[in-house]
Amino acid sequence: MRDLRSLGQPLLLASGALALTSYALLYASPYELRVLTVAGVYALAVTGFQIVFGLAGALSLAHGAFFGLGAYATGILGSRYGLGFAATFPLSLLLPLVVALLVGLPVLRLESHYFALATLGVAQVVLLLAVNLPDLTGGANGLPGVPGVVLFGWAVPRGLPLAALVWGMVAFGGLLAWRVARGRLGRALVLVRDDPLAAAALGLDVGRLRLAAFALSAVFAGAAGALSVHTQRVVSPEVLEFPVMVSVLTMAVVGGRGRVAGAILGALLLIHLPEWFRALERSYLIVYGVALLAAVIAAPQGLTGLLDRLLPPRDRAPPRPVPPAEPARSGPGPALVVRGLAKSFGGVRAVDGVSFALEPGAITGLIGPNGSGKTTVINLLSGLERPDAGTVELFGTETAGWRPDRIARAGLARTFQSGALPDGATVLEAVAAARLAEDPGLVPAEAHALWALERLGAGGLAGRLCGDLPAALRRRVELARALARRPGLLLLDEPAAGLTDAEKADLAGHLRAAAAEGTAVLVVEHDMGFLLPLAGRVLCLDQGRLLYEGPPEGVRRDPAVVAAYLGEGTA
Amino acid sequence: MASALPLIGLLLAHAAAPVRAEEDISIPVLVPVTGFLSLEGTSQRNGALLALKDAVPGLTIRSDVIDTGTSPEAAVTALERAAGGGGVVAVGASMLGTQMLAMLPLAEEYGLPLVTVSGTASITEQGNPWVFRFFPGDAVTKEAHARYVVEELGKRRAAVIYQTTAYGQSGKAHLDTVLKRLGAEPVFAEGVDPTAKDLLPVLTKALAAGPDVLILHLHSGPTALFLRQAAAQGLTIPVVAGSAMHQPSTAALLEPAELKGVCAETAASPVSGGSPEMEAFTEAYRREFKAEPDAFALGQYDGTRMVLEAVKAGARTPQAVRDALAGGTHKGLAMTYRSDGKGNMAHSAVIVCYDGASRVPKLAKRYDNVTGVVP
Repeated sequence: MRDLRSLGQPLLLASGALALTSYALLYASPYELRVLTVAGVYALAVTGFQIVFGLAGALSLAHGAFFGLGAYATGILGSRYGLGFAATFPLSLLLPLVVALLVGLPVLRLESHYFALATLGVAQVVLLLAVNLPDLTGGANGLPGVPGVVLFGWAVPRGLPLAALVWGMVAFGGLLAWRVARGRLGRALVLVRDDPLAAAALGLDVGRLRLAAFALSAVFAGAAGALSVHTQRVVSPEVLEFPVMVSVLTMAVVGGRGRVAGAILGALLLIHLPEWFRALERSYLIVYGVALLAAVIAAPQGLTGLLDRLLPPRDRAPPRPVPPAEPARSGPGPALVVRGLAKSFGGVRAVDGVSFALEPGAITGLIGPNGSGKTTVINLLSGLERPDAGTVELFGTETAGWRPDRIARAGLARTFQSGALPDGATVLEAVAAARLAEDPGLVPAEAHALWALERLGAGGLAGRLCGDLPAALRRRVELARALARRPGLLLLDEPAAGLTDAEKADLAGHLRAAAAEGTAVLVVEHDMGFLLPLAGRVLCLDQGRLLYEGPPEGVRRDPAVVAAYLGEGTA
Repeated sequence: MASALPLIGLLLAHAAAPVRAEEDISIPVLVPVTGFLSLEGTSQRNGALLALKDAVPGLTIRSDVIDTGTSPEAAVTALERAAGGGGVVAVGASMLGTQMLAMLPLAEEYGLPLVTVSGTASITEQGNPWVFRFFPGDAVTKEAHARYVVEELGKRRAAVIYQTTAYGQSGKAHLDTVLKRLGAEPVFAEGVDPTAKDLLPVLTKALAAGPDVLILHLHSGPTALFLRQAAAQGLTIPVVAGSAMHQPSTAALLEPAELKGVCAETAASPVSGGSPEMEAFTEAYRREFKAEPDAFALGQYDGTRMVLEAVKAGARTPQAVRDALAGGTHKGLAMTYRSDGKGNMAHSAVIVCYDGASRVPKLAKRYDNVTGVVP
């Protein structure tokens, strides 16, 4: 029964596609074909929006502007210069792409609502240019007389041929976007969306990934804009106005965020809905609004989310575990050498001239009272913070000031104090994310991830959602994710927090095994009962300074450590 | 004989059936009843529907109203929908210029006359023989607008404030041309966005240029906002506004005192009366729609009546209606209409002024047959 239900979703979507095709071929009037054509144009635009908004999680309000840029490129080149579809269409993709690359570099550095506001500003600038450059754009009137599509000498008439052309583009674009979403890039974008810091710490270049998503989505928007002009033969500032953007956003949310099927379903529904009620004159907006609200309440995860609930997708067969190749490290010597590391936040000296070295195969503990600078040291080593002074040599290479993804690729892995696993991802997906920067595709990434999970006795968790795991298992999965990259240096931030004694013993065993393979391990921990038997050496920080460095048995005897951290009566 | 009656009735019914099918006539009305032009679009709708009421004795004329919103895309979809309805001889089409420009190619393809009150100049400059504009274009209204300022008020230092829309840019261009010809080039000109919520900055800048008259070419809402702010500032120079000001719905946004000294150009002002026919129209409009008619309602009424005259005279196809519109003359309530060969049917404009005591303006000056097209 479960197998049949799991097959239901692809069958339902395929049947829907077949029904739509039959409707277009056999029953649809010219008006209905036109509505279908407009829905196709929006489906293409929303498919692109799913990449930047759905997958990468960036609320780009410039998507409507890219749609308009594609439209204006076709309109201006077609009506003013008489260029044909073969020239205007590629240029309508190129113009938004170039603008997205130029604009993306500065605005993609901004987070969440600042990014949304910046992209809204971009859209406003483009709209103002269109209105105020009448010699080029036709101003507020726009440009009439845009020629229709001519393919290989054949003028594509409106009606079924134009609908077929537009939906052919939707099919091609949808397939491309589906492959992106299901592939390495899509998985990496989801990780960037869910936790950009974790993504960077796993070796992913967050800036480049966001820029790629922004640029790719702009190309889709440009294509949709070009086709929209060919369907109405006139381009005017309305294509750049905010309602276009709102429509695209609504379609993405109602259809199902991040899914190609969601883009198509959302566009079909939202373009047809007002047409069904239009005979109600003014009242149709109320009915339309109520219908839209009902759709959002009934399917808060969108129409594809509703489908997932009713017809759960089939679990994929797990891959065969394969150990990843051991990365080559430069010759013998310390894994890490830190000299004079310093970092201040305003007037607070968080790390003050710290120096130490970590040897391959050794476990080192890093202790100190709260606020002593332990997490800041880890952040400086992993690139999440830039040091004010000092040097950091990772396997003989100076890495101070590098981006986190570059440091990660140089052999460093880390975990976070607060778990950084995405709740909506399966354990296998979460661990495979650690291999995305190394492996050429998802299949080897998942095979390597399963190897890491099995190594920690967690292979059976592969299909479970991270959000459903108890704390101990989450810690284990996080460790598997860090080890999946076969790092030369592993930094763990309070890995034993919230674990039972048995779970701590289990964790200690895994860390010893990792060290036995030559990994240098630095563990930040408050639990002395867990750390001191585990570590071969201990560093103690207080007020950003190194207070103690030596064997664990010396910690409890050191008066400075006792005074600053352990307290009297612990010796 | 009595027994033959049913048979005769059957034969008559049979004979009448094809005639009914043949005379299945439709004049759909595709106008913006939602969005920023909903007030004007509703006037258009009402004017068309009033004209179609009891239009041709013995003939039922269908008239579906389809909202076009304000996007060209929705307008084209609406036209495609209407064209598929069958029996369409003409279409009451949106007053929004960008929507008209988008509908024109499809209207030509289907061969459907579009009857509109859009003032955007370029819709009749596309060489499309299927468009008929029953509202004076900018070439007429702006001629009246500028001439009233210069010739009647004797002002030569105008500050022009216009909208950054198709309507605003087109009107501004025509005003520039006429004012220059009259030797009264503006001392100040600035475009404002229709969504601007404070027009005091542009008013202040305009006054700083030392004008002796303010010429407005704004949509309804911005016109009311500008005049309210100007009145609050104690403006002492006259204001001659665009056609949006004549609309009763615009005047309703202002106190009568705020309208003192304000004039406006328009095609007509039905509420101002002027003839028994015009007063009858205004009464009928009020009765039917519980609202005050404006020049857009009257223009669409006159245009639709001209289509109906053609139908009454036997036109049963779009081509026949087009020919009648293109070649005929129609004495409407607002003016006498005749095509200039491009589809511009209206060639007269009026100036109305408010006395500060009432929201109903009085006719100040007529500019008839400005283009000389009407014989």
